[in-house]
Amino acid sequence: MLQIENLHAEIDGKEILKGLSLEVNAGEIHAIMGPNGAGKSTLGYVLGGRPGYEVTAGSITFNGEDLLEKEPHERAAAGVFLGFQYPVEIPGVSNVQFLRESLNAQRAQRGEKPLSGAEFLKLARAQADALGLQHDMLKRPVNVGFSGGEKKRNEMVQMGIIDPAFAILDETDSGLDIDALRIVGDGINRIMRRPDKAVLLITHYQRLLDYVQPDRVHVLADGRITRSGGPELALQLEREGYVGVGAEVAA
Amino acid sequence: MTLDLPSNREEAWRWADIGGIAAAAVLAPIARPDASFLDLPGAKLLFVDGVLDDAASDLHRVRVGDLTPGTHALGKRATKGWSLHLDEQAVAHPVQVVHIATGGDNHVAAEIVLAADTSAQVVETFVGAGWSNRNTRITLGKAARLMRAVRMTQGGGFVSIRDEAELGEGASLVATTLAAGDQGVRIDAAITLAGEGGYAEYGGALLTRDRLKQECAVRVRHAEPNGQSHQLWRAVAADQSQASLAAAVEVARHAQKTDGEQSLRGLLLHRTATVNLKPELEIFADDVKCAHGATVGELDARALFYMESRGIPAPRAKALLTEAFVADALDRIADETVREAFAADADAWLESAL
Repeated sequence: MLQIENLHAEIDGKEILKGLSLEVNAGEIHAIMGPNGAGKSTLGYVLGGRPGYEVTAGSITFNGEDLLEKEPHERAAAGVFLGFQYPVEIPGVSNVQFLRESLNAQRAQRGEKPLSGAEFLKLARAQADALGLQHDMLKRPVNVGFSGGEKKRNEMVQMGIIDPAFAILDETDSGLDIDALRIVGDGINRIMRRPDKAVLLITHYQRLLDYVQPDRVHVLADGRITRSGGPELALQLEREGYVGVGAEVAA
Repeated sequence: MTLDLPSNREEAWRWADIGGIAAAAVLAPIARPDASFLDLPGAKLLFVDGVLDDAASDLHRVRVGDLTPGTHALGKRATKGWSLHLDEQAVAHPVQVVHIATGGDNHVAAEIVLAADTSAQVVETFVGAGWSNRNTRITLGKAARLMRAVRMTQGGGFVSIRDEAELGEGASLVATTLAAGDQGVRIDAAITLAGEGGYAEYGGALLTRDRLKQECAVRVRHAEPNGQSHQLWRAVAADQSQASLAAAVEVARHAQKTDGEQSLRGLLLHRTATVNLKPELEIFADDVKCAHGATVGELDARALFYMESRGIPAPRAKALLTEAFVADALDRIADETVREAFAADADAWLESAL
């Protein structure tokens, strides 16, 4: 589904990703772990197409298409969803309006009919219920006044509504208490664990992986994948730290 | 033609586009554009180049004729126009006025006098091209209420309005102006809360592009205690345009317990555009609350990427964020039909400017 080959990317002339290669197949959940500053979030933003993140070498192919050729909104329509570490507050735009615009813009790009207001509300309420988000929060401005946990839950509600083929979830576990972590973990499994979908979980800690079992675990250090393995690698990291597996960031 | 116009050297006219007025006044004739009234009951007045089109108008309680010109530098040119006088207990349907300009200059005066406990709604729309100049005098009796909404959607030229309002005890004026066309604009107002407990909202949104200059220059004077005023303005400037917001609140020595608010915010769609803000407070009373805020910024790049990453194309994402910015000002319009029409004008402008 996703092939990243020898990816080099920089911000403001500073190279962050230094030859990263990774392959994710449909039906798989991959976790990217690594110390702070290794380039984990940069990888997420490069996949999403955030301005300011310049790819200097390498390629990203998604379902046989060159992802780097596409604008951010085209990547979304192609099925890529980026869950933000810090979801953005948008005063004056309601969650409902934002999500309906998002979904219908994606549907339009794929040549599908837009959902009516009633159809959309039904879908949005069902997803909010599944993640324990109050219905009145759908009417509120996007993320404005939401707690850290509510913002992350809202990201999962968005993912449920958009129903992407591939999700990159950047530190989705940060800021969550143990109950919220379980709800969000269940949400990821429910929405994304399908034979035709895949997930890239970007995380610093093992704890989300207790709820969302990865098929593959990769250690990202200093802009490259330095080790890959099965779920046991995450446990080893938890036990021995990044230094233990030779993944400390070069000073 | 030589026009006697004010100079930018005078502080009150510092940001006025005097050259733009002079140029608009000599615009060549254009074909008469279409203009339609909103679906509201009541009076409908159509002025073409400052002259009432009788056949297309329905006056109801409105009268048309000579009016005493004021002393305002631009407003004094208007000597004829329309007037609405409501006697006590009278009930009136809305008054809609559509102003079509087909080149050159035109001047219309208006007088709105509401007796105690009456209320009225006035909606004005400007279309066409040329210099359209208006002078409106408003007198509100005890507890009278006026809701006024003005939209400036000319394709070229200049629209200048001068409003002078005097509010009696407990009277209320809610005025919202939207500039969403391709014309220069000056919104010039002097509002006096002459009775105790008056309420004035005077605000709106200026949307500018190309090399246009639009401005508001509003002064609210609290002459008596317990009054409330809100001046909420939003300016969106694209290309090399300039939007200027000058809002002043004056609180007289014995106008205690005054609550005056000013919120002036500018949004630059391009770095080449200019927004000027000038909040002004002159407070002579000692027990008042006057909140004021003035900020200029750009669209939030993080919010834009967030929206794009959810599938919304960049121009639409920018339009949504800008609509949200402008909505604060237009939400003050109470009538749903009017509010939706104004919002649609603002949206159409944003879609084409972004």
